[in-house]
Amino acid sequence: MATQETGENPIKSEGDIVTCRKLIRNAATAAGFGMTDVTRIVTAVSELARNVYVHSGSDGVMRWQTLYQAGQVGMRLEFEDFGKGIPDIAQALEAGFTTAGSMGMGLSGVKRLMDIMDIKTEINVGTTVLIEKWGRAK
Amino acid sequence: MDENSLSVIKLKNILLVTVPDDPGDDIIHELQNKVLNAIEKYESKGLILDISSVNILDSFFARMISETTQMVALMGGQTVIAGMQPSVAITATELGLHLGKAISTLDVDKALDIFSDNFKLV
Repeated sequence: MATQETGENPIKSEGDIVTCRKLIRNAATAAGFGMTDVTRIVTAVSELARNVYVHSGSDGVMRWQTLYQAGQVGMRLEFEDFGKGIPDIAQALEAGFTTAGSMGMGLSGVKRLMDIMDIKTEINVGTTVLIEKWGRAK
Repeated sequence: MDENSLSVIKLKNILLVTVPDDPGDDIIHELQNKVLNAIEKYESKGLILDISSVNILDSFFARMISETTQMVALMGGQTVIAGMQPSVAITATELGLHLGKAISTLDVDKALDIFSDNFKLV
């Protein structure tokens, strides 16, 4: 598996949410994802970056890489913060999307957009959300 | 005009608001204030939100559209969301987003048709 593209961007301000979206839109488009998958990935980025900025109570960072494996292309993204953590992951994943938003809410929707989602969280230590989306390589 | 700003145009008694392709949170907040102020100023009967350029609609933006629609309704107006891109519609549905009481149309022309049918505008 050869990593073709990789990078990271801090999440410290409202403007960083848009910066993260633009970076990943470019990376996913360059990797060869179609319009709908690019939109899915960018929307997931927006949700997770906002989760970090608005709800975690700390700064954070987004890291990404483009992966090529067996004729497939993938985007792997990681959102890490050092904030308050998610008290109940199971509940956060069950919750609908109607809540005005607290830490962890909205994760169920992001999971539906992605192929893989993995959450590591510890109260008052932080949260890392890893997501992957795969498609056929060009 | 800045390509990343909102455009608000009064068309008879309708307000046509065009949203840029990748609106930041500041623009989305501004949207609500601008719309409500303009509706009061021009006594608009309706709002057309042209999102045909928009390529990302997340839960924050959706909530703001839903809230704005509700506020416009309280001021006596109808909101029409015009021109949602297919990829945005697919993603919004998978994500579980709802736009409240807003009506949707394929494009701004069809949104204007709704108002002309209802209000004998044109």
